[in-house]
Formats: sequence, structure tokens, C-alpha cells
Amino acid sequence: MKRTSPLAVALAFLVVALPLGWGLYRSIRNALPLFTGAPPAAAPAAPAPK
Amino acid sequence: MSSFLARERTIASPGFSRWLVPPAAIAVQMCVGEIYGFSVFNIPLTRAIGITRSIPGQDWTVPHVVLATYSFGLVMLGLSAAFLGKWVERVGPRRTMVTAAGCFCSGLVVASCGVHFHSLGVVALGYGAIGGIGLGLGYIAPVSTLVKWFPDKPGMATGLAIMGFGSGALVGAPFGVELMAHFRTAASVGVAEAFLVMAACYFVMMNFAAWIVRVPPADWRPEGFVPSAAPGRLITTAEVEADQAMKTPQFYLIWGVLCCNVTAGIGILAQASPMCQDMFGVSAVVAGGFVGLLSIFNMAGRFLWSSASDLTGRKTMYCIFFVLGCSLYSLIPVSQRIGSVALFVALTCVIISMYGGGFATVPAYLRDLFGTVQVGAIHGRTITSWSMAAVLGPQLVTYLSAYQRAHGVPRAEAYNSTFHVMAGVLLLGLVCNLFVRPVHSRHHAP
Repeated sequence: MKRTSPLAVALAFLVVALPLGWGLYRSIRNALPLFTGAPPAAAPAAPAPK
Repeated sequence: MSSFLARERTIASPGFSRWLVPPAAIAVQMCVGEIYGFSVFNIPLTRAIGITRSIPGQDWTVPHVVLATYSFGLVMLGLSAAFLGKWVERVGPRRTMVTAAGCFCSGLVVASCGVHFHSLGVVALGYGAIGGIGLGLGYIAPVSTLVKWFPDKPGMATGLAIMGFGSGALVGAPFGVELMAHFRTAASVGVAEAFLVMAACYFVMMNFAAWIVRVPPADWRPEGFVPSAAPGRLITTAEVEADQAMKTPQFYLIWGVLCCNVTAGIGILAQASPMCQDMFGVSAVVAGGFVGLLSIFNMAGRFLWSSASDLTGRKTMYCIFFVLGCSLYSLIPVSQRIGSVALFVALTCVIISMYGGGFATVPAYLRDLFGTVQVGAIHGRTITSWSMAAVLGPQLVTYLSAYQRAHGVPRAEAYNSTFHVMAGVLLLGLVCNLFVRPVHSRHHAP
């Protein structure tokens, strides 16, 4: 019986974790101004994202 | 090639680790979940001719772009999942994933041609129609496969798969922005080129998933797993086929549960940016950060709430979603009155996490009620409620807030009545959920 190597499992998770981690980093970086007292806007509301 | 795709070739041999299947599921869902981040292309697509500004009469408008891509794509997702669900069960996950990759990525290539030649019809044909079929197939195939691999943790398994779809925006949106910035020239907004690169990357990722995915042998059980001799009242050991499931009241009750849950959540998600700006006067950039934060909670909720449903049971979990969601919606106007952005962000993040949790818990709920044999097909038919909610939720928020403003309500308070309506929608979902009972044995397959 050939068992799946734990390394293969780790590599498979890494393939999805890399882009996911990058996306998470970008989103958190963009969200930080919410909690650091960003100045209010002068411009009217932007169109709705879908 | 044909035999490589055959279902028989994907049956796992002894010793295969079932933990190779979640990354395959997440990979496919992450790619097709790109549709959640498609809004980054909206404005550039309205400047395909004018480049720096939209030229009225020549360039497309945002509503037209959204209709041809996002809305059309989601409708096709629901339809293809509903009509192709039984085919997916028959041919297995590998052929389905390869087909999904072919449809989704060739759809992006066709849409790229549509942008290049400035034909919205071709963009709709590519991203909406062809790509939408890929979306539907890519959405349901990993879910039914994971449910079969994790009979001991079905909530966690479906949560993992559907978390991948939620992560699509986190990855797809910044990826699209980077690509457009790279390809932008004085003569091009860079969208057509970005679509081509995305098609190539997603094709590789989805075929990687198809390569590693496996289905368990018919009589397979996890090591040491003994099905409970007295399973929960709502957990069946029988099997119900997809056509028969549609003759049961449970199918329509779950359909209603999902529709109410999604309508309430997507209403906020679709209007998050202008809502945050109108209510608290923050800038568009900060509101964009808020949208990103919601995406993270949407994704995390899919895994955490769905995993928790393995402990609480699916019916109880939906009761929590609806009761807690209703309470939190009622509190949002308070956050606006006291001017607390932090409270508003906290409330909406929890609500959106439950929106994601509702999505992810549905396949496990269906598996509990109808068994595993055709759960993919039944799930496919259930998510037509998503297509309806994708239209209903944003329309409700937009119409109600516009109505309030037209009647003299200050901009910052114009959303308050919407939140009360959403709380009402969640109560309706609670009623549907409370009526869910075990499926009658006359519907069970012999």
C-alpha cells in the first residue's frame, strides 16, 4: 500500500496558501486606515461595488 | 486523456490521504470565486475607448457592464449548477473540474476579445455565459467530493471548500488591479490583457486541482470512524435522489433559508462602500478597506461557522444565524447615532461572517437530510436561490435608501429602515428553518 507523503499534502496546501496569504495581506493593509483615524471624505460617495 | 478524466481513474487507492482533497477544492473555488472581485474591472471597462475618462455614447456604463458580467455570470452559475448537477455526480470531479477550467478560462479569453473589439455582447457571451457555466461546475464539484471524504466532519469539509470561493475576491481583485496597472498604456486600460493572463493562471491552478483530486471507494470510511448508532433526528442514513428531493417540502424550506440568509448579507456586501461613506463620512479609500475587511470575515465565517455546525447541528446553527443576525441588524442604526465606526464595522463583520457561514453550511444540511449520493446535484438546484438573492438583496438596499433620501431623510440615516427590513428577512428565514423536519421515508431510494 502506497501512503501519500505528508510533504505532498503540505505542498498542495502551500500552492493555495501562497495566493491566499498575498490577498489577505493586501486586504488587511487596505483596511488599516479604518482603525487609525483616517480623515473624513470631502468627495461624495463612490458607486456601489457589486 | 479521456480515460485520465474517467471517474474510475479518480477512485483513491488504499493509503491515499484525504487531506489532499481540500487544497484541490480550495484551488478551484478560489479561481471561480474571482467573480466576487470583478468590480475592480467595472470602471476601467467604462473607459475602454476614452482611456482616462468615459466617453458618453461610446463607452459602456457601469450598470451595463455589471449586467453583462457579474449578474449574468451569477445567473448562469445557478442555472448550470441546477441543470448539470446530476452530470457532475455521474462523471466525477476530475472531468468536471477540467470542464470548469475550460469554460471559465475560455470565457475569460472570449471576454478579452470582446474588450479588445469593444463588443459588450461578446464580453457577456464570454464572461457571463461560457464563464458562468464554468462557475457553476467549479462551485458544486469540490463540495460534493469533500462531503464524501469527510463523513465525520461534513460541516468543516464544506466550509473549507466554500471558504475558497469567498477567498476569490481577496486574491482576484488585487491580482486584477496589479495586472491592469502593468498592461495600462496610452491606448489601452489593460483589461483585455489582464483577462488573458488571468485565464492562463486560473487554467493552471484548476487543472492542478483536477490532477490531485480523488473520490473515495464506495465502502470507504475514515480510519476509526464509526457512524453513530443513534444519529441526530435530522441526520439520515438513507439516500434521496435529486429528482425525488425536489418533491419534498424540506428542499423548498432549505431553499428559502438560503435565500433569506443570502438576501440579508448580499444587501450589505453590494452596498458596503457607499453605505460606509454615507453613514460615517469616511473617504472612498477607507471604505474600500472596509469592503476588504468584509471579504476576510466572509471567508473566515464560511470555515468557522460551518465547522461549528458539526458540533451544534445544522438546524441550531441556522437558528443562531437568524436570531443573532436579526439582533445585530437592529443595532446598526445605534452605531450610526453614536457615530461609532468601530461598532459599525464590528457588527457588519459578524453579520457578513454569518452570511458566509450560511452558504457553507447548506451542503452539510442537505447531506444530513438527503444523504450523500446526489448531494452535489441537490446542492446545485438549491443555489438557484442565490441567483434570486443576488438580484433581490442589492435592489432592496438601493431602492429603500433612495426612497428615504427622496423623502427628506438625511443621507447618514437613509439606510436605517433598510436594516430593519433585513432583520425582517432574517426572521422569515428563521420561520423556514423551524419548519424543517426529517425527510419522510417514502422519498428514500430503495
